[in-house]
Amino acid sequence: MNSRFLILLVLSSLAFAQDARQIVEESQKRGQVKSEKYDGLLQVFESGRTITEKRWQYERIGSYGASKSILRFTAPPEVKGVALLVVNHSDRASDQWMWTPAIGRERRIALQDRSTRFFGTDFSFEDLEERDLGQFDFKLLGEDDVSGAKCWRIESKPRQTRASQYTFSTMWIRQDNYLPAQLDNYVKDQVVRRLKYFDIERIQGVWTARSLEMSDLRRKSRTLLKLDKLEYNLPMKEEDFTVQALRLGQ
Amino acid sequence: MILLRLISWPDARKHVLRSLLTVAGIILGIAVFVGMHTANRSVLAGFNQTVDRIAGKTQLQVSAGEAGFGEDVLERIQSVPEVRVAVPVIEAVVDTGRKGQGNLLILAVDMTGDSSLRDYQVGAGEDSPVEDPLVFLAQPDSLIVSRDFAARNKMKTGDALPMRTMDGEKRFTVRGIVQSGGLASAFGGNLAVMDIYAAQKVFGRGRKFDRIDLAVNEGVTVQQCQTALRKLLGPGFAVEPPSSRGQQFESMLRVYSLSMDVSSLFALLIGMFIIYNSLLIAVTQRRTEIGILRALGATRGQIQMLFVGEAAVAGLLGSTLGVVAGLFIAKGLAGHISGIIETLYGSAERTNEISVDPKLALFAAGLGVAASVVSALLPARNASAVDPAVALQKGHSQAIGESENRIRRNIAIAMGAVSLACLAVGGSALFFYGGYLLMALSALLLTPMLALWLAKAMRPLLSWLQPVEGPLAVESIILAPRRTSATVAALMLSLAMTIGLGGLAQSTYSSVREWLDATFNAPLFVTTSQSGASQFYHFPAAMLPSLTAIEGVEEAQPVRHLKLNLAGKAALLVATDLTRFAARTPNRRIAAGSYQKMYEAAAQGKGLIVSENFAERHGLSLASDLELPTPSGLLRLPVAGIVKDYSFQEGTIFIDRPVYMRNWNDDSIDMFRVYLKNGVAPDDVKRRIIERFERERHLFVLSNQELKSYVLHLADQWFAMTYVQIAVAVLVSVLGILNTLTVSITERKRELAVMRAVGGLASQVRRTIWLEAFTIAVIGLVLGLALGAVHLYYQLDMIRRDFTGMALEYQFPLSMALALVPVILISAWVSALGPAELAVRTPLVEALEYE
Repeated sequence: MNSRFLILLVLSSLAFAQDARQIVEESQKRGQVKSEKYDGLLQVFESGRTITEKRWQYERIGSYGASKSILRFTAPPEVKGVALLVVNHSDRASDQWMWTPAIGRERRIALQDRSTRFFGTDFSFEDLEERDLGQFDFKLLGEDDVSGAKCWRIESKPRQTRASQYTFSTMWIRQDNYLPAQLDNYVKDQVVRRLKYFDIERIQGVWTARSLEMSDLRRKSRTLLKLDKLEYNLPMKEEDFTVQALRLGQ
Repeated sequence: MILLRLISWPDARKHVLRSLLTVAGIILGIAVFVGMHTANRSVLAGFNQTVDRIAGKTQLQVSAGEAGFGEDVLERIQSVPEVRVAVPVIEAVVDTGRKGQGNLLILAVDMTGDSSLRDYQVGAGEDSPVEDPLVFLAQPDSLIVSRDFAARNKMKTGDALPMRTMDGEKRFTVRGIVQSGGLASAFGGNLAVMDIYAAQKVFGRGRKFDRIDLAVNEGVTVQQCQTALRKLLGPGFAVEPPSSRGQQFESMLRVYSLSMDVSSLFALLIGMFIIYNSLLIAVTQRRTEIGILRALGATRGQIQMLFVGEAAVAGLLGSTLGVVAGLFIAKGLAGHISGIIETLYGSAERTNEISVDPKLALFAAGLGVAASVVSALLPARNASAVDPAVALQKGHSQAIGESENRIRRNIAIAMGAVSLACLAVGGSALFFYGGYLLMALSALLLTPMLALWLAKAMRPLLSWLQPVEGPLAVESIILAPRRTSATVAALMLSLAMTIGLGGLAQSTYSSVREWLDATFNAPLFVTTSQSGASQFYHFPAAMLPSLTAIEGVEEAQPVRHLKLNLAGKAALLVATDLTRFAARTPNRRIAAGSYQKMYEAAAQGKGLIVSENFAERHGLSLASDLELPTPSGLLRLPVAGIVKDYSFQEGTIFIDRPVYMRNWNDDSIDMFRVYLKNGVAPDDVKRRIIERFERERHLFVLSNQELKSYVLHLADQWFAMTYVQIAVAVLVSVLGILNTLTVSITERKRELAVMRAVGGLASQVRRTIWLEAFTIAVIGLVLGLALGAVHLYYQLDMIRRDFTGMALEYQFPLSMALALVPVILISAWVSALGPAELAVRTPLVEALEYE
């Protein structure tokens, strides 16, 4: 899962007034990289205990909204070798393919309900999409402290042209480095999912959250994503982000 | 009402056995009627329920017959603006191998999007029935089972479940359990969900789906979406709401349902006959009472109403009990029907619940009362005809006047002539069934006259056998033609029915045997199921060279079977290499066309060969064009030949394999016909085939004899009900004789007593009654077998024109007829034992006082 991606998705779901939009655009601009690679650890917790734990290698290429990424699971053994190719489009939903080595074939993931959970985690497929900011209205609500950092509190509402499972979202962006600190997603007037950002580090000049935690407040479960061996702007080739490459990379 | 309370009720209590018999007649008829219809309905309801529960929020389903279609169709459908969500589906039924658990319905779906259409009954806040959806998708052995199935098998998440797959037996892992209700209760709760891409591999489906379930976008009607999809996909695809699967299922079972209707009607007629008989006995036994009532001022109408009222009350009681009994019968019968449907049609259905239809129950109750009243009309008329003055005169009421005889004869001759004319005209159902009815009525009207002639003809023989008792027995029959003819008619109809059913079975077996010998002449058959073909498993084309390479195999002919739906009518498509098939089956019977030319044309892709019943059902003749919907579009080819074939009741189409593969994009195989090199023992090759493939394929190797036995076993299953009907028909015949003799003895109490008073020995009285029974049985046999021969002709024609379309060879069941002779004669004698003893044991004084 893409850390830029998760940061940008927060920005993407904002609907600012003019000032708010500038904040979001600046945050997006600071996070721009040509490519990205990391080893991820994902843990799902329910009732305080770990339910599942997975590791993967992640590679991403391309600009925000038109990026391509491949995620290859490395553990546990039941999912080792399973790979996911995501090709994002700024104007429509992403195309996704999955390679399953046990049956030796790829499949297209025809996601028609974006509120579906991402393979048993607390992220939904919609939470992972790279979206055009122009499809949101936004409003600066004020300022708050989050984990000791001063943040702008901004509300975003999807425009009619963008169908979303969420009625609106509230996000907090740090004023010191323009990194998102928290995002609350609402259905009607109830918070249903909360994303928090931790372990902030500057990597190759880019401020990055090394840990992200998504909580599903209805299910009372949370998913923690830790990014390790994170590198930006590595040389990568477009042809490594195709369905053929997905097959060959097993 | 007063008469019912004062007269009928005490009489019913006095003659408990007879009263019970009357009610039992209705119970039998209604119970079988309700049982069969409810069981049939329950199976259909079970299928529809499974379809409904599996369909979930599906509004339309796209399919292209059993062969399925390529994955590319899914993306084409998903790109249609009217479609909100479209998900692929594969369905398969597998044997769990667990004792008492039967089959498991595998619903293979794409779990990443399927919850948009189906409710997986997960807990609050959950959206997946599995703990880890990624593991579920990553491991092709993943299964989700229903809570019911898990509970019945004491299974929990992580447990293994072995199942037979295309690649032999494999262990699957339960990775999720869905709560009961909704989807999980489909197929009686024996449901398992698996990943569709894993299912493609497990069931040998290649990169194909069975169907696509979809829901339409907001603001779009189902019809608009249906039109858009039909335009996009063309005529080779069916775009229908889920409910249409029920209609297709019903269409496939048409012949079976029709035969069930006939069986239940038969049971009802038997019930009516029993009531008729019981009331006839009642009228005879109560003649004196009726005479007294009439003398006291009761009108004919009141007497008639008395008996009709008795019948109505008995009908109501019997119908009520019959409906209840029918529901119990249905419970047992439903499982049996499901089994037959699975064996005969390859469509598995699991029926756990009986679908009770209040309308059917009410209809059956009404039918029971109506049948009871109709059966009572004749006895009631007889009762009302009793004249107080002649009530005590023996035999008077049984006589038929000469003028009545003449009128009957003339009407019968006229009816017979019209019946023959109808037969000559043929064509419409009106002429056919009208002629059939007239023929039966003509036979019934002629019965008294023919019985009289035959009785007179038998007099010399009986006189020679027993000079005293013989003539007495014949006289008794001659003097009471009405009483005798009623029994003879009943016996005649029962025997005609027996001959018809037996003849139908014999004609079918004979035709099927001949077809099997001519068509299934390969020494070995390699199949995906015991029944020859499975809807759910197929062999890959790559298996052919491996099979041919086995030592001793000279040739292996691949065959693909699949069911088609042609404008609402089911049909079987058989795809094989027709040139090689023709070379191996030179004795196949042709109904129309030249053997060589039809196979040449079909092998060149210039024609199709159809079975005779298919041609009959679809009104086709040689050179008629036939359109087949295929995933590649509409395939239009002329009928190059018509053959005798009994593969499928609804008709079969033979197509050359390359033409099939091209149009259906399917090279899978259901069966190999394996021919061997000279001098090679089939058992040796069978062993080698099993050794070669047992680890990698789910297959059966059947010897020629095994396959034929299996097909004949199917016919046995089909005719199982027929044999029950034959047994009932024979029993009714016996009951008829028993009834007649009881009535006869009651009427002749005084005559027989006088005989004993003037020195007649008890043994002479017994022999008189035995001979009377013997004479009635012989007359019934002669007329019954004759009418049976005619009835069989009509029955076979009925099968051809309105059931399967199959033209079966007329074969009179001679062995059955010969077997019936001793059965009926012995039954008649046994029936006569009781009445004969009654006649000799009644005290003389009491008997002489009678009348």
